[in-house]
Amino acid sequence: MTTSTFVAGRGFLYIFDARAKLFTVLLLCVMVFLPIRQIGLWTLVAAAFLSAWYATDFKQALQPIKTILFLLVVMILFTPLTYRGGEVLVRLGEFPLVTKEALVNLNILVARFLGITYICTLYMWTTPMADINLALRWYGLSYHAALVLTLAFRFVPYIADSFRMIQDSHALRSATVADGERTGGRQRLADVMPTVTAALVVALKSIPHLAMSLEHRGLGRDTKRTSYRRLVAKGGLFTHLLVSVMIPTVFWLVFNTL
Amino acid sequence: MKSTDSSKMTALRIALMAVLTATVVVFTLLVRVPTPIKGYISLCDVVITFSAFLFGPWVAAIAGGLGTGIADLIGGYAQWAPLSFVIHGAQGLLIAVIARSGIKTGVPGDANILKLVLAGVVGMVVMAGGYYIAGGVLYGFEAALVEIPLNLLQSGVGVVLGIAVSRAVLKAYPPVRSLSL
Repeated sequence: MTTSTFVAGRGFLYIFDARAKLFTVLLLCVMVFLPIRQIGLWTLVAAAFLSAWYATDFKQALQPIKTILFLLVVMILFTPLTYRGGEVLVRLGEFPLVTKEALVNLNILVARFLGITYICTLYMWTTPMADINLALRWYGLSYHAALVLTLAFRFVPYIADSFRMIQDSHALRSATVADGERTGGRQRLADVMPTVTAALVVALKSIPHLAMSLEHRGLGRDTKRTSYRRLVAKGGLFTHLLVSVMIPTVFWLVFNTL
Repeated sequence: MKSTDSSKMTALRIALMAVLTATVVVFTLLVRVPTPIKGYISLCDVVITFSAFLFGPWVAAIAGGLGTGIADLIGGYAQWAPLSFVIHGAQGLLIAVIARSGIKTGVPGDANILKLVLAGVVGMVVMAGGYYIAGGVLYGFEAALVEIPLNLLQSGVGVVLGIAVSRAVLKAYPPVRSLSL
């Protein structure tokens, strides 16, 4: 099981410091909820999509749309039906099917959702997980919390492998159920129980060993044996933070409706 | 001697949170039960409920919140990660607080079944309600309504299996009580 979300690529986003980039993500996510012109929202979506395309490739850049496609379809189907006010554009008998106000609202919601999705996904694609952890540390995440995060990432593949092995061994035991045979919901849940219980026991058994290893590594002692590396921003952190503030500010100044 | 005990507790607490967080990630991404409408429900709520019943509010909140947050990041739903962290964290915290209320010794899972079900139902409401509000803010309250039944189903299955699994694990692996903080 792969836990890394980093996608190797090119461009400014890979050089941009993880801390400054995180700040930009936060500011842009807040900005899309502020009074802003629709063209501004779509410019943001287009800029994020083009950045993703340039940084990776076209197929990869389409990936976020695929993950939210179902929700986009639901939004397109349901949102127009719930806005009844404004100029009626399409009518079904006496029933106003689509109004201008509904389309404006739908447009804003879709652009906002796509924008947030692309901004967050781009951050994950262009920043290694270790750098994200270090960025969070820089913003005040405690040493112990960062350690929990790191260890959790290390343990995901181990628990996933253990789970698959347990699942396979349980599948061998239930050979009486033919492949493709339909079973009810209750039966499916009952079938999951032994596997889930065994997987949890395996995971729990690893806890005392991990705790002991942490103690042997010096956790809780006054003299620290390990420390995190420091993030280095090319050209200085101040410059990166300045850029991180400038991008949303310029966007806001150009597209705000106030 | 005191500092050694405290460092042991810190190490155990960190190990407990890390392993349960990883378990939540695996159960969110790998363990899926098909539903009649050709979709899937994940079993992350089973581990959250299980953590709440055996290890108390803070472990359940961190494991539930962090685990589902990481699963969202890995699964390509980065925009949901902070929301999942808050919603599932609150779900785990509340389940454990309600299950543990009035219990002086043992783990919250030792409470009577009615109390565990009540705690689970509160968790269901927090989860489904939390995602409805978050979805409403992100892409509109009308579209977010569609997700409520599936979220209730997922958290309902989580409560039923969570109660069953916590009882089964207490029987199958009694030393788990010594891990409870």
